[in-house]
Amino acid sequence: MVNAWIAIGALALVAVIIPLSMMLISSLLRPSVPEQGKRATYESGEVPTGSSRHIQFNIQYYMVALLFVVFDIETVFIFPWAVIYGDAVGEVGLVRALVPMLVFIGILVVGLAWAWRNGAVEWVRSPRAESQRVDRDI
Amino acid sequence: MTVPVQFYLLLSAVVFCTGLFGILVRRNALIFLMSVELMLNAGNINLVAFSHYYGNLTGQVFALFTMALAAAEVAIGIGIILVLYRNFEDIDVTKATTMRW
Amino acid sequence: MAAVSLPAWAALAPMAVFALTALVLFVYDAVEPESHNSALLAGISLVGSLLALGITGWYLVAGTGQPRRNGAIELFGGNLVVDGMSLFFTALIASVVTLVVLASYDYLQGHDYQAEFYSLAMLAATGMAMMSTANSLATAFVSLELASLPSYALVAYLKHNRGSVEAGLKYFLVGALSSAIFAYGISLVYAATGSLQFDAVAGAIADTSLVGVLGLGVVMVIGGFAFKTASVPFHFWAPEAYEGAVAPISGFLSSASKAAGFVLAFRVFLTAFPIDVIGAVDWVVAFQVLAVATMTVGNFAALKQEKVKRMLAYSSVGHAGYVLIALAALTDGANHSFVLGSGMAHLLVYAFMNTGAFLFIALAEHWEVGRTFEDFNGLATEAPFACAAMSVFLFSLAGLPLGGGFFSKFYLLMASINGGVAILAAALIVNSAVSLYYYSRVVKAMWIEEPNGDLEIESYPTGLYAAIAIAAVMTVLLLPAFGPVAETANMAAEMLV
Repeated sequence: MVNAWIAIGALALVAVIIPLSMMLISSLLRPSVPEQGKRATYESGEVPTGSSRHIQFNIQYYMVALLFVVFDIETVFIFPWAVIYGDAVGEVGLVRALVPMLVFIGILVVGLAWAWRNGAVEWVRSPRAESQRVDRDI
Repeated sequence: MTVPVQFYLLLSAVVFCTGLFGILVRRNALIFLMSVELMLNAGNINLVAFSHYYGNLTGQVFALFTMALAAAEVAIGIGIILVLYRNFEDIDVTKATTMRW
Repeated sequence: MAAVSLPAWAALAPMAVFALTALVLFVYDAVEPESHNSALLAGISLVGSLLALGITGWYLVAGTGQPRRNGAIELFGGNLVVDGMSLFFTALIASVVTLVVLASYDYLQGHDYQAEFYSLAMLAATGMAMMSTANSLATAFVSLELASLPSYALVAYLKHNRGSVEAGLKYFLVGALSSAIFAYGISLVYAATGSLQFDAVAGAIADTSLVGVLGLGVVMVIGGFAFKTASVPFHFWAPEAYEGAVAPISGFLSSASKAAGFVLAFRVFLTAFPIDVIGAVDWVVAFQVLAVATMTVGNFAALKQEKVKRMLAYSSVGHAGYVLIALAALTDGANHSFVLGSGMAHLLVYAFMNTGAFLFIALAEHWEVGRTFEDFNGLATEAPFACAAMSVFLFSLAGLPLGGGFFSKFYLLMASINGGVAILAAALIVNSAVSLYYYSRVVKAMWIEEPNGDLEIESYPTGLYAAIAIAAVMTVLLLPAFGPVAETANMAAEMLV
């Protein structure tokens, strides 16, 4: 009991000391030459434009992310069902084991179909992206 | 080596209070959502820990339902926050005061 | 007596009808997203809610789930239960939904996303009906969320209207907070007892060593119900949400949603935490404090309001306080089924008169006459019928013998005397007197004051008028018919205590 906690404490200590000492040593050794280019945001070699504080993403990202979250979470209901499916078929028969899950998935499919038809998964281009595209096409 | 079950209660209480503190102090609607999520997950810690303690599966299964409902709540919440942003140009929850609070 | 014997799961038919109606609306909207056929959409929802109401009425008459026919029907391992109380409240919810759908047809003219509106309303109704049958903390939480989540979206339905969005935001913030507290309370109760099913919780309470944890859990569960029923301390959302939301939805939330919250509270506290078992946590006293506080806060805040809709919202908080008497008067000496039955009967009467009053507000918004008391001046010269109905609703809400509200308040008074809690009786009388003042301000404005300026009404929408007429007729009819209603409520309550 006691030994285990000592090991955990030692690990935590080492985990803190190593990065701190690395930063300390490098700051002692390196030369200090401040210049503009070093402080700019790195954007894969492009010259950065605008600030990162008020950047706005296309609303479509949220739509897709929301759909993903909802449907992703629904799988937690399918996993336990899949685990006991074999035993359940033996115990209560195929119909009572399978049909409730089919109904569940059927309801989800109705939801997905509704979202699809109402344009939640269609990629609408923003006006700005549209204007930039025209430039490149020429 | 098993952890005594009281420690889980303590952990969940800490997580719950962190969430509550976030709700009371922060004004950003997105932080609010995260704090609510913390509070729900504090409940999940209890459910799973005591499910193990009592040796029945009720708590674990209910924790799955809580997670799914939390996701649904976030989905609705983000939708409301988006229309909030469109109408008030801000997601500060104290800015929306056309009626009296 | 029904001649055919249905399988046990058929007892859930009203809920299934609501859910199916919502799905049909979704499928229709998925097939025809551009359609603006509001008559068809309202028609589908109306058929669905009337069907649910009919089935529930049939079950009530046939005695399904009641002692004279095999007793309560337990489903899914005791997680859902269909008995007299659940049928009583399902009937209440189905009636309110019917009225709301009828009124929304006119109110929503020219708005987009109507299919979503109706299907969300149907989903909320499914959740509320499920709340009345929930018999375990797990189903209680799931059904409470199923009722809440569509409601948030419904309140924020007018997404270009700042008031509606703000109302939706505030409703959502308070709702999310209280549902998190509710969930944590459930987890603490589970920690103390090791089960979620109500009867099993009650059985395990005596043996638990974690009394403190259990007590904290019960307090947090009370918090969850306080939100759903718009009682102190989670009542802040109610005036905002009711004022900002479209008026039919305000009526829906303030009557059906409140009733659903109360039925769940009744069942949880009588089945899972019976007062003779849970001696350590005296929730009767807690509810006495909450009842008096809620009544007083609601009614005195309503006094100072300038807008009629906001006044009604605060009065709805006050009425939550009256119904809380049903839990607060459950002292040792009281006749429990009578006390509980009076609360249920008041909720039924309240559902009709309050929905009716909010539908009148919907009518006023449809005419665009304005929102303050002065804007209602002289409305009776233009629309005498609607104003007469509104007067019936308001006087019945105040407790005058013009509608069923008189008897239901009288029964609540008898209940608090029966429970031997004088302070509840005193608070009920004082608050009713206060409420008479602000209700009669509206009536005075409508009938006595001179119209100011150009008050002109072009259209008399049929659906809204029909809904108001039905609500008015039911409110008046409940005056002579209160006896059987109270009897049904008492019988349903008797199974629980």
